Formats: sequence, C-alpha cells, structure tokens
Amino acid sequence: MSAIEKINQLSHRIFNTSVTEQNVARTSNPFAASNFQKNILTEDVFESSKKKEENKISFTGNLTAHSKRVYSTFVGSINDFGSRFYEGIQSLVSLGNKMKEGIVNTWNKIHELGQKEVSLEGAKDVLSRDIKTFFINGQEREISKMSKMDPISEVKPMFSEALSALEADMVMAA
Amino acid sequence: MNKDMFKNNKNFSKVSNIIESLTINPSPDSVAVLEEIGTNSSIDEVREMTSRALVKRNEHDSLHVVIANRGKGINDMSTIVAMSTINELLSLENKEEAMKVLESTISSEGFDEEVKENARSVKALMALS
Repeated sequence: MSAIEKINQLSHRIFNTSVTEQNVARTSNPFAASNFQKNILTEDVFESSKKKEENKISFTGNLTAHSKRVYSTFVGSINDFGSRFYEGIQSLVSLGNKMKEGIVNTWNKIHELGQKEVSLEGAKDVLSRDIKTFFINGQEREISKMSKMDPISEVKPMFSEALSALEADMVMAA
Repeated sequence: MNKDMFKNNKNFSKVSNIIESLTINPSPDSVAVLEEIGTNSSIDEVREMTSRALVKRNEHDSLHVVIANRGKGINDMSTIVAMSTINELLSLENKEEAMKVLESTISSEGFDEEVKENARSVKALMALS
C-alpha cells in the first residue's frame, strides 16, 4: 500500500465516521469486543452507572410539587437578584451622573448669570449714559431751536406761558 | 419752593431753556423780552437767571438794564439776584462795555443816587478784578 493510499484510507476513516461506527458494539463495556492484551473481557469491569444513581443522595425524592415551585422561584429570584442588583447599581450610577451633570449645569448657569450681570451692568452704564446724552442733547436742541425764533412774536408768548405755569406751581407748592 | 424742587419742575426747565435761548439769540429784541418778562418776574430765581443772561449778552442795552434800572440787576431788592449779577459782571472776559455803562450811569444826572452808588461800587470791584 502506497503512502497516498494510506492517507486516503485514513482520511476516509476520519471524515466518514458512520462506516466505522456500524461495526462498534453498543454494550455497557465499550471494550468488550476488543482484544485486550489477547484476553477477551467477558464481564463488565466498569462500574455501572445505574449503581451510582442508586447511591446518589436525592434531593428531590421527598420534595412535593409545591416545594419544587417554591424552591425554583427562590432560585429564580436569586438569579434575578444579580441582574436586579446590577440594574440597581446602574441606576445609582446613572443617578450620580445625572446629579453631577445637574451640578455642572447649575454651576455653568451661575457662571453665565454672573457674566450676564456684568454684561447687564455694562449695558446699564451705556443706557444711562445714552439717556443722559439724549436729554442733554434734547435740551441743547430745544435751546438752539428757540434761539432762532423771533423773540417778540414767538419766544415772548412761550416765556409768558411757562412763567405763569411756574408761578401756579409755586402757589400750589406753597 | 426750594432749588431742588425748581430743578425737578418741568415749567422751570422750560423757563430756563427760554432764557438760555434769549441769551444766544442774535436779535436785539431778545433784550426787550428778557427785560419785560424776566426781570419783572415775582420769582427770584427767574430774575437771577434773566439778569445773568443780560450780562452774558454783553451789549450796551442789556448791560444798561441790569446796571441803570432801579430794582433790576445790581439794584434788585433780592441780595441773591444783585450779588449774582455783580458776580456775572466780574466774570466777563471783556469788561469794556460794562465799564462804559457803569461810568455813564455814575456821571448821568437822571438816575437815582442809590443806583449811582451801586454802579460806583461795582465799577470799583471791576477795576480791582
């Protein structure tokens, strides 16, 4: 047999297991049909699995169906406990993150408000200055406008009227 | 009514603005308006402002009103008005016209002795300043 034929046979045995398995006897002793150092093992020298099952301590022997349900629920709850505990930790972590974000946001808001107050102060200064300038300019504009009027026909009646109103204010104040 | 109340009074501001406008109004009629209405006002503050306005114009007619007229300008019954007018005369950069009016008032026969005495005193102050 050439080397190539041996390889082919080996590969056939490896990959086509169904052919070889047909020849294996299905007994409790897998080596019963084999030649074990030229002695055929006629007895089952391996420990029976049934015997093991008899000696095994059974926890379910005396359990009622109700107890089984209770225990299964208990076990299930233990299993759930881990996930619930994990979820709880996760929620705590998320709560902490939210609190942290809240504090950071609050701090930023306070900072922004502080800056806004500064900017408002500046705006207030500008506004007050503009208002003062507006009134001063308004007064100057009024004086300049009246200085171009005719004193007898235009300014004199205004002067008399304003003076009469001022005298009336003085009487009321007195 | 005190000065703070005057400052906050709308009509006082209006009167003040009118007097200011008549101070810089180039028309000679402004002096007549200031004399007729301002110097005859019953309010001391208005008479004071009017007298100062007439001095600021620094014209013969306006200075004549506050120097040679009885009861107006330096001859006003109110000490505040009279002193304020004198102070304004002393503050003038060009006192030439004011000195001419003062000298004419002192030397003229038609004025009261009290007016002449006041003009003499102001002239002495202006000569020293």
